[in-house]
Amino acid sequence: MAKYDTPMLDELEKGPWPSFVTEIKKAAKTNKMSDDELGQLEKSFQTKRGYWKHGGIVGVLGYGSGVIGRYSSLPEEFPGVAHFHTYRINQPSGFFYTSAALKEICDIWDKYGSGLTNMHGSTGDLVLLGTTTEALEPLFAEYSSRGWDLGGSGSAMRTPSCCVGMARCEWANIDAMGICNHMTQHFQDELHRPAFPYKFKIKVSGCACDCVAAIARADLSIIGTWKGNIRIDQAEVKKYADGGMDIQSEIIDMCPTDCMSYDGGEIKINDVQCSRCMHCIAKMTKALRQGEEKGATVLVGSKAPIVVGSLISWVLVPFIKCDDEDFEKLTELTENIIEWWDDNAKPRERLGELIEVKGMRPLLEAVGVDPQPQQVREPRKDPFFFWADSDFEK
Amino acid sequence: MEQKEIQDEIFAYLEKMKGKKKLKEKDVIKKIMADHAELDKNTVKTALREMINVGKIMYAYGGGASSVEIPSEEYLKEKGLI
Repeated sequence: MAKYDTPMLDELEKGPWPSFVTEIKKAAKTNKMSDDELGQLEKSFQTKRGYWKHGGIVGVLGYGSGVIGRYSSLPEEFPGVAHFHTYRINQPSGFFYTSAALKEICDIWDKYGSGLTNMHGSTGDLVLLGTTTEALEPLFAEYSSRGWDLGGSGSAMRTPSCCVGMARCEWANIDAMGICNHMTQHFQDELHRPAFPYKFKIKVSGCACDCVAAIARADLSIIGTWKGNIRIDQAEVKKYADGGMDIQSEIIDMCPTDCMSYDGGEIKINDVQCSRCMHCIAKMTKALRQGEEKGATVLVGSKAPIVVGSLISWVLVPFIKCDDEDFEKLTELTENIIEWWDDNAKPRERLGELIEVKGMRPLLEAVGVDPQPQQVREPRKDPFFFWADSDFEK
Repeated sequence: MEQKEIQDEIFAYLEKMKGKKKLKEKDVIKKIMADHAELDKNTVKTALREMINVGKIMYAYGGGASSVEIPSEEYLKEKGLI
């Protein structure tokens, strides 16, 4: 195949980095959809215009989520991408696959689609790029018969995602994969049937390093943390110093709350001031460990800057235990949050935007969480405060 | 009220609103509950979901938001339902 000259796309193959153009070219050798995708993309670069139409009515019977309709606005010129729908597969928690599983996914995808994948999109799902409307039902039948379900899209709960958690990471305070799987199973209906005002994302990180960027992108962020003092092994601290680490500048001076000191021999931490950011623990893994009582902070309301500007998460529950028997408490809290948002939000209004409009108080009342100092996000900007009648009864 | 009767009302409401307003699943449930105070949310939701399962109504998507609609003939043909 390769019927298109792509001088502008070729520029993106230069340099030492992996190139998506190279990968599309590989697929284009055997797949007409990928070949026309190259042609249309080159035209977009040349003319500085996009030629994709988005949305419409595509999907598999009974589901409202998981397939995103995409069409070329130049179907005569690029017939291979006249339909180029995106198909989202619900990824395993922590993104763990066997090579046999990946081969199975790709073999099916080669049969019905462009062969192009996005591993993984910012949604968390395994994203398959480019198939036709006619191929959707047989594609779904093949995948689902092998245990691969569709992910979320549209005004639905999006596929919950998480970091690798305790499977590979010694810093994980919570079983991020367990929570993610529990949430995914519990909210199957909300995932596949778009009944919400807009999207709702759940992301779970085992610690404040936040490898899935839950704090910046999820309506509900569950981030592992701990209670109690950071455990210090002073002998290991000495080894780091002897090994050439400049503890003062790399650790002490980088502490965001200035709660650490180092006298050239030992590290001391004023744990009351610690914000559990994980910087020191991540840099001195052998010398510093989290406190022994593990759990999670539940935050709400972050989003990327679509519709209006981006928002960062806001603490709702400073500490919640997250052992297996506590998972139900998390799902119950999530249901209450969603119910309040669903009852009050306008179309295309995310949870964070609704909190900005209504304030945190009605959410706290609706979900039954007491006000706590950790929920204060920033100093108040206006001098007026509206007391509720119930405040005078206290 | 029998499930079939609820489904007939859902269908009639969607037909009436076709081309006028994109309705979310919740809008439909609210409307049916407002007309029939004896019905609870889960009963109406179940009736609606049954209709979606068999392709009598369907989810549509546009402008970032999803809605429920009566499927076109083309869609029904594509799914082998007619």
